[in-house]
Amino acid sequence: MSTQTLDQSRLTELSEQQLQRPWRKKPRKFTLSVILAVIIPAAIVAALFVYSDIPGVIVLVVIYFPLQAIAAGISAWLTRGTRSIGDSFIIVTALGATVFSLVVLVSVLGSLILRGFRALSAHFLYQNSVYINPSTPLEYGGIGHAMLGTFLIVGIASLIAVPVGIATAVYITEVRGRAVPYVRFFVQAMSGVPSVVAGLFILTIAVSTGLFNQSAFAGGIAYAILMLPTVARTAEEVLKLIPDELRMGALALGSTRARTVLKVVIPAARTGIITAILLGVARVIGETAPLLLPLVTTMELF
Amino acid sequence: MSQTEAMRDLHSAATSHRGDRVFNRIVTAAAFTSLVVLAGIAIFLGFQAIPAFQTQGIAFLTTTDWDINTDPPTAGIWGMLYGSVLLAVIGLFIAVPASLLLSIFIVFLAPQKVAKTLTNLIDLMAAIPSVILGLWAFYILNPPADEWQRLLNQYLGWIPIFQNDSGNFLGTPFIAGFVLAIMMIPIVTSVTREVLGRTPPDLINAAESLGCSLYTMLRYVALPYGRGGIIGGVMLGLGRALGETIAVFFVLKVVFETNWYKIIESGGGSVATLIVGRFGEVTGPFELQLLLAAGFFLFIGTLVVNVIANLIVNRTGRLQK
Repeated sequence: MSTQTLDQSRLTELSEQQLQRPWRKKPRKFTLSVILAVIIPAAIVAALFVYSDIPGVIVLVVIYFPLQAIAAGISAWLTRGTRSIGDSFIIVTALGATVFSLVVLVSVLGSLILRGFRALSAHFLYQNSVYINPSTPLEYGGIGHAMLGTFLIVGIASLIAVPVGIATAVYITEVRGRAVPYVRFFVQAMSGVPSVVAGLFILTIAVSTGLFNQSAFAGGIAYAILMLPTVARTAEEVLKLIPDELRMGALALGSTRARTVLKVVIPAARTGIITAILLGVARVIGETAPLLLPLVTTMELF
Repeated sequence: MSQTEAMRDLHSAATSHRGDRVFNRIVTAAAFTSLVVLAGIAIFLGFQAIPAFQTQGIAFLTTTDWDINTDPPTAGIWGMLYGSVLLAVIGLFIAVPASLLLSIFIVFLAPQKVAKTLTNLIDLMAAIPSVILGLWAFYILNPPADEWQRLLNQYLGWIPIFQNDSGNFLGTPFIAGFVLAIMMIPIVTSVTREVLGRTPPDLINAAESLGCSLYTMLRYVALPYGRGGIIGGVMLGLGRALGETIAVFFVLKVVFETNWYKIIESGGGSVATLIVGRFGEVTGPFELQLLLAAGFFLFIGTLVVNVIANLIVNRTGRLQK
């Protein structure tokens, strides 16, 4: 029974793959003309780069992009007629946008690695920066104190946000109470809270209630506010993938609902829940603003 | 759907157990944490915002001066509110076409493997911490951006938005907006990619068999079909841009004047950056309360944008199921 449905689903998947993209079939002439339309403008622009003193950005933006669009339009017009000019325009601009995004990504990662790798070493990760000034050679000092602080604060945040986030997901997928749409709505709204506002909020609580002072704990709560929606939403997606048969089976065997969730559903979704936690950590580990506010005075304490 | 209802019946039948009731209550309480936090933020920050209004009145929202040491002190965040929106609009001008075209490339043009790799790379781009992006913008982007803006001013200076009287092209709204665009591209792309990918293949096939080219198919089938989701994705990006703090802090010179339209003139405003920038040099509890009040309006603004965005995305999601 199950193998049959599996085969069927695989069959439909396959046929869908074949059916989905009929626009893929392109005549060979088209490919050739595209290659020509790429090479000619590139050659012109390369010549301009070398032999003229027009600024590079102008060559790229004002000359190359329009030239490329026109060349692609002409090649499309020659091979496939007037109606395909729009197509070639879309293709050129889409490629341009893709290249733009990749250039930015490569530039960010590349500059980090190229400029940073000289300072990278084992001691950089555990030494601290006491007695270190800008003229100290690279053999000394590191970010050990910052690493420790990050682990501490992210740990505190995880201790708060992970149970609450998973419980929220359990409420949405397992309890399925009447408030599910509202809870999902609030979680979504919470994911839009700016990080600086989370920091201000914790600061206000610290100042006005005096329950805790400006400490790693305060920073941890601020992080937890940012982490909770990410954990809750990812865990919800994961728990949704657990088949209802498992739950029904557990209930039919006489386990209570709490046991069903704790012993069957969550263990079944273990890897996914770990993903949810990691995504939550990734969400907050690079955040700056929430700590800038509640932690501002602890620089002196440490 | 009926299975869900059956599960719910099963669950409610099983609640007779005492441990279950406790479990139920704990989970329900946790589920409402998000509401409690949202309400808490609104109440606590709103409460702190009262003194700002008692002393400044409505001028707190409509003026741009920030002079705490005068008597009476004057403070207004209009320039910052407007600046936040201006930066976000500049960012959207770059990010929306870029991410739409990027998702068109991923969904309709790229081979499966390329599409998968690109999707992963764009997700990687979303994972760059904003402080790193800010550092990158400060050290790597600033010099070429300075040149681009000089050229813009040289050739297109007759257009009002490209005016620059000071000759200083750093710390401009343009650079900050560009950085915001880089932060928005992955967010907007992930939504538009999903929305465009959900266009029913039947509709695409029908359009193709009626003789549609890729362009006409996009124009008359895919884009109208995903319009709601695309707008929602753009608004999610907008929400992110409005609340962005650190990346903007690195590249924008915050001035207490309203920079109405000169996007390549040094100096602009942003509420979130104002809060972080002034926080280190707060002169007293009153200025702190002014910043908290600014944070309150930042919170309300981003909340409204996000709620609208989520409503749009959710609605289109349901329509498509």
